[in-house]
Amino acid sequence: MNPRKPLILVIDDEESIRDSCSQIIAKEGHLPDSAENGAEGLEKIKVAHPDMVLVDLKMPGKNGIEVLEEIQAIDSTVIPVVITGYGTVESAVEAIKKGAFDFIQKPFTPEELRMTIRRGLERRRLILETEMLRREKKIMEENFITLVSHQMKSPVVAILQYFEVILAGMAGEVEKRQAHMIRRSSERLHGLLNLINDWLDIARMNKGIIAGKLRPLAIKDLVEKLIAFFEPTALEDQIFLSLESASKDFLVQGDMETLEQVFSNLISNAVNYNRPGGSVTVIIKDEEESVIVEVQDTGIGIAEEHLPLIFDQFYRVDRKEGQKTKSTGLGLSIAKKIVAAHGGSIQVVSELGKGSSFSVTLPKARAENDVSAKKTTLV
Amino acid sequence: MDKKKATILIIDDDPDFLDAVSSIIASAHYNVSTALDPKGGKEKIYSEKPDLILLDIMMDSLFDGFSLCHSIKTSKEFSQTPVIFVSAVKEQTGSRFRFEGAEQGMRGPDDYIDKPINPDDLLSRIEKLLPKEKR
Repeated sequence: MNPRKPLILVIDDEESIRDSCSQIIAKEGHLPDSAENGAEGLEKIKVAHPDMVLVDLKMPGKNGIEVLEEIQAIDSTVIPVVITGYGTVESAVEAIKKGAFDFIQKPFTPEELRMTIRRGLERRRLILETEMLRREKKIMEENFITLVSHQMKSPVVAILQYFEVILAGMAGEVEKRQAHMIRRSSERLHGLLNLINDWLDIARMNKGIIAGKLRPLAIKDLVEKLIAFFEPTALEDQIFLSLESASKDFLVQGDMETLEQVFSNLISNAVNYNRPGGSVTVIIKDEEESVIVEVQDTGIGIAEEHLPLIFDQFYRVDRKEGQKTKSTGLGLSIAKKIVAAHGGSIQVVSELGKGSSFSVTLPKARAENDVSAKKTTLV
Repeated sequence: MDKKKATILIIDDDPDFLDAVSSIIASAHYNVSTALDPKGGKEKIYSEKPDLILLDIMMDSLFDGFSLCHSIKTSKEFSQTPVIFVSAVKEQTGSRFRFEGAEQGMRGPDDYIDKPINPDDLLSRIEKLLPKEKR
């Protein structure tokens, strides 16, 4: 599998041991390397990433146990084997507890060393293979989600596209009743499309992908773009959008794609459940180590008994009549999951008939924080 | 006075989608050309020299659309040809407001449009991007 010869490093202060081990290693067809103390050995491990390391337990300077601990911090896939003096089984046991794969006692025969090396390299091969399979599986899982959702969406989108063309009269005249049915079919399919998208989001969320994608992000910039995006449709219903924020933009530790989704969901809810002449105000507040983004509306509000449940999956408050497409009931639960994956939180206050206010707390980007400031985890 | 109408190339791996969008383009009396994959798309670009390209981002691989766009935009002959990215909402890797490939030095499109496409919206975006004499 690995085309290069296995590299085996010997760390021992005795020159005779280094030389004899190296000879045996080379005879077995492997690459030997050696270091006469712990510090030198660790440097070589960092640079060359050997497959296996033989470490003498008793050396001047860093002793074998210390070296053992540091090896694992550098590369946990390296196989460490300790060399112990005659009659010091106790220290060998301690070394095994500290993560050594095996031990070999001085004086040892070439055959004993060869056996130990063979077993160690076999172990190394297994570890690397497992690691590779694990990585492959992860990539496959991620691609699988994307692939399946693409294949579910493609037919729906193709049908919707035909409907668009028919409804635009580009495929001949359409009777009123037919147009009505096609329009309804189209709305139902849009609902299905939303469900597929939401399902995809939840599947992705469970993989813990967000945490790896966090980087400093200008939050005001993001909110401004979303407001500009929703403004035209909101104005059609005479709903006014505005932003209140300090002139300075704040950097949060965030993932653009998913945060966009959170605020897009909150703002579109605030617009959809509003009243004509109402308003949606987004307020960005600076806290010491976090930024709070509040989305306030003057809409119909949420009854007290529903409030604790609105972040649950598939929970829907049937509160708007004549709504074209039913919501999937997943939007807020996805938003909550996204915010939690950012190490933030989401809260709601609402009064029936007056409006609701959702506030999202997000940790500031590390660059924005004072280095000396104590780190607290926001929950 | 007869004006020479523009040729629009649509590259998408869904034949039904191509069929539907072709009728939108044809309704505005543009010449329509189609391709089902990036390779076929490239050939049509050279053979028909389209005035505008509608490009599906997500074909066989997620990066097909992106890399084809990049090679169009960095080519000598077609760097000025407008490209509109087409994708089902949220299907693209990045944000819907931003072409993230720019970070890796990739050249982005001139516009984005979501599937399913609204016919009027598509036609007005096409008109905006075409040179005046071809509209």
